[in-house]
Amino acid sequence: MAELYPLLAQCAIVAAAFKVLLFPAYKSTDFEVHRNWLAITHSLPVKEWYYEKTSEWTLDYPPFFAAFEWLMSQAATHVDPAMLVVKNLHYDSWETVYFQRATVILTELILVFALSRFVKSASPWNKQAAHVASLSILLSPGLFIIDHIHFQYNGFMYGVLILSIVLARKQSTMLLSGILFAALLCFKHIYLYLALAYFVYLGRAYCLDPKNVLRPRFGNILKLGVSVIGVFGVSFGPFVQWGQLFQLKDRLFPFSRGLCHAYWAPNIWAMYSFTDRALIPLAPRLGLSVNTDALNSVTRGLVGDTSFAILPEITSGQTFILTFVFQLIPLMKLWLRPDWDTFLGALTLCGYASFLFGWHVHEKAVLLIIIPFSLIALKDRRYFSAFRPLAVAGHVSLFPLLFTAAEFPLKTVYTVFWLILFLFVFDRVAPVPERPRIFVFDRLALLYLTFAIPLIVYCSLVHQLIFGFERLQFLPLMFMSSYCALGVVGSWIGFMVVYFTA
Amino acid sequence: MAPSTPSSHRPRKKRKVPTAPGSNNNLILDISNGQQTPAFPLVSFLWAARAGVSQWLILPLTLMVVGLFRWAVSLWGYSGFQVPPMHGDFEAQRHWMEITTHLPMAKWYLYDLQYWGLDYPPLTAYHSWLLGKIGSIVEPAWFALDSSRGLEEPHLKVFMRATVVVSEYLVYVPAIVNFLRRYTRMHGVHAWSTSIALVAILLQPATILIDHGHFQYNTVMLGLMVASLDAILAGRMLWACVFFVGALGFKQMALYYAPVMFAYLLGVCVFPRCRIGRLINIALITLAAFALLFAPLVVGATNPEARKLFASSPQPPLLQASPVSLDKDTVAYAIIFQITQTIHRVLPFSRGIFEDKVANAWCAIHTFYKLHRFDVSLLQRASLGATLASIVVPCGIIFRHPRASLLLPALSSVAWGFFLFSFQVHEKSVLLPLLPMTLLLAGDGGLSKENRAWVGWANVLGSWTMYPLLKRDELRVPYFVMTLLWAYLMGLPPVCLETYRSRASSEDTNNQLEPNILTKLIHFAFYFAMIVWHVLDAFVVPPPDKPDLWVVLNALIGFGGFGLAYLWCMWKLITQCRQIDLRVAEEDSRKKKQ
Repeated sequence: MAELYPLLAQCAIVAAAFKVLLFPAYKSTDFEVHRNWLAITHSLPVKEWYYEKTSEWTLDYPPFFAAFEWLMSQAATHVDPAMLVVKNLHYDSWETVYFQRATVILTELILVFALSRFVKSASPWNKQAAHVASLSILLSPGLFIIDHIHFQYNGFMYGVLILSIVLARKQSTMLLSGILFAALLCFKHIYLYLALAYFVYLGRAYCLDPKNVLRPRFGNILKLGVSVIGVFGVSFGPFVQWGQLFQLKDRLFPFSRGLCHAYWAPNIWAMYSFTDRALIPLAPRLGLSVNTDALNSVTRGLVGDTSFAILPEITSGQTFILTFVFQLIPLMKLWLRPDWDTFLGALTLCGYASFLFGWHVHEKAVLLIIIPFSLIALKDRRYFSAFRPLAVAGHVSLFPLLFTAAEFPLKTVYTVFWLILFLFVFDRVAPVPERPRIFVFDRLALLYLTFAIPLIVYCSLVHQLIFGFERLQFLPLMFMSSYCALGVVGSWIGFMVVYFTA
Repeated sequence: MAPSTPSSHRPRKKRKVPTAPGSNNNLILDISNGQQTPAFPLVSFLWAARAGVSQWLILPLTLMVVGLFRWAVSLWGYSGFQVPPMHGDFEAQRHWMEITTHLPMAKWYLYDLQYWGLDYPPLTAYHSWLLGKIGSIVEPAWFALDSSRGLEEPHLKVFMRATVVVSEYLVYVPAIVNFLRRYTRMHGVHAWSTSIALVAILLQPATILIDHGHFQYNTVMLGLMVASLDAILAGRMLWACVFFVGALGFKQMALYYAPVMFAYLLGVCVFPRCRIGRLINIALITLAAFALLFAPLVVGATNPEARKLFASSPQPPLLQASPVSLDKDTVAYAIIFQITQTIHRVLPFSRGIFEDKVANAWCAIHTFYKLHRFDVSLLQRASLGATLASIVVPCGIIFRHPRASLLLPALSSVAWGFFLFSFQVHEKSVLLPLLPMTLLLAGDGGLSKENRAWVGWANVLGSWTMYPLLKRDELRVPYFVMTLLWAYLMGLPPVCLETYRSRASSEDTNNQLEPNILTKLIHFAFYFAMIVWHVLDAFVVPPPDKPDLWVVLNALIGFGGFGLAYLWCMWKLITQCRQIDLRVAEEDSRKKKQ
């Protein structure tokens, strides 16, 4: 089998060079968040990690991530000890910036490793597709915008996720896969969104006899149970011992926040808000009652509580039930057909369900769908045509994260570059499906894609020219998120069809 | 496709599969059992484009990637950031936008000359005026007269950086793309190989670091120069003159190229047979282009206020030297004043023989034998003589054999001659010899190991000699990243030794295309010296009585290297010329036999 070029490592080198050049780029408050965590974990005893609140950016990731910060802080002492002082709020000497940005790039090596394992695990006739898919993840504009400009450590955690997915491919490594996923949950609890798929898949394929559902494999159950509980024990155990569990729960799950995050993530609730807004001027004619509190609220649709003027309020319980129901549907198929491809599909659909219906979803969470989906998007052209609108909508929806002038060309040109390159290459690589595609769906997707360009131009340039920077600021954001929501929902429906007919 | 008859209006044809030896540039290596591997990393990035991928896809993607790298470099520091009172090149360019938009043309070359007085030719002034007008629409305060001096606002930086990128994409990039297309077609080089050369040329580290890091608009001048070359290849000599006058009119540094252009254009009128009509046409169109260049300034000099201003201003030296004395109130006086003042501002004879520490002969001699003791005029004559001596051979060759394919080596050796021996050289001037030398990558065998080794080595050395300058601008990280990345992509040291290793390739190995042992030794010595120098510069404090020791050492090593680069280009020119002669002679004898 010939090698595939460019090699993953070569791409990683060039990408790393580019990312190093971005050191002085805009960085969000997440940079200060992580600096603060470095300081907390370095200078305070473990017992106080989850109580410290000098900065408003308190530690709200699970213990493994805190330990990870502690580990990095050991290196940070040699770079600039001042960044490790809890009281040094908003400290950003160039040493600090270089150090923190460099850790993001270096820890991303785990992603490179995981992707190389993924390519290796693919069957010879799927190697090329797997290679292309892993390049697309490595160079993903999502990771580029969120990790290397906005600042977070998603690259390495998605690396762990992919590694765990790859290990789930073979019966012999499934245990390891489960352990890795449990560890990942202790890094960042957002992966709970995907946990049900793991639970069902490992439960069915590893803990029960493949041929007979009624014959549990007790050895496997014991091994998996003990090790998963062991992982959680190591990470949360000490805090349980000190009686801090409820403090941790409050920190990790701040349910006091609103339905929608500051920038609306492109999900069902964005469409819901949009509909609500659109109904306001129509309300008198239709004879609907308007909630005047919501109309006057300054923060409506932004931080904190969302108030809807016309449509009924949504509670966190309702979102939870909806998410659960829509996760359960694909999981039923996974239970009946517990193979790896179905598992990946179910994983993706779990990501969709929680992104679309979840409470206080960040736009960044769209990677939870895109990244698992990328791994199977090249199975055949039907998968790919469901992936296409997601790739466009998901990445475009991240644009509002960066709003500074200097980063505007970076995010747009990079994303457009990625979309052109990979949509073209995917189109070449994806094999023809066994079943015919749905013609209308393809045409709609194409129409959708072409609409993206004028919309981006309007939102980033024309709107400011017409209304200036101050007036009707929410309008481009709302258009963008509704447009993107349409794309994500469309691709979700499309993928559901593909998943259940495959 | 015969190389001697490139016509401009060729019908669209499928490109011929190259058959000439070496024209594939040995991009694919054959390792055991028929497996193919790319010869260097850049090839592997374009691996998928080997067969039948449309240029409509590859070209935009390439331009996006190189654009991203440019913009990322531009996030870093620029010349003169937070260095009051004079700041640096960024402030100079901004200041010119300020004065050209607010002052009448008569004052452009006279206004407060102590504070970054305009000292570039008229096209730069018009370019500044246009950018200043656009910028004033966005934010008038950026270019307010006098009050905007030393402004350092983040949005201003973004605007200025964007103007560099846009200017480059409107001039340099289309010129390079068109030139490469024509040049490679002439040499029968594969389209894939062209794409690879294009990426290599557009990622050339020195140009990116100076224009998008340090802050200048060199690519506009270089782009006009390449456009002129492109016109020559297309056989449009008159357009070549116009573009070249444009390059000269944008930045006087294009004079480095002037002797070759002159010798070539004269040569095509004389050899193989005398063509007086063509000569007259070329002369007329060149004059017309210069007239057009100065026309707005001249028109601006004719109104009464301008005349009053000129009558009361001190005369420029050129005007003082003129034998005819004119009445100061006449229009003729105003026009001559304007032109002579512009020329006086643009030509730097009133300055020292070299500025800062630059890797040329004068600075090298000065290190061991102080040149201050000599009179400036003597030094001027000495430098003129040395420069002429260094360029006479390549100019003679290109005059006697005016062939388009010899232009690149001739241009690079003459530009090296100027860089090494002429008066008032900046370290940034190294971009001029580097451009034609780097364009050699696109030619037949351009991406072969031997050529890649030399061109790559000169480029790495070039950006290395600019390190002291870049360090002052806080551009250390971009310097290391861009230079090492380029070296990596081209398979060069210090990142990779592949270029210097002998290996069998998929084609018949041509011994000429492998670097010989002497080349290897020289290059390794230089790479080693550069690395050691960086270590010294970073960790060893120079002795207190010689604080500039490392910078001087840098210039000395650079001088040695550039001298070698000059010799290599000359050798390349001579061998290529002889090859062509031989081929022509062969064809002639064959014809005679028939």
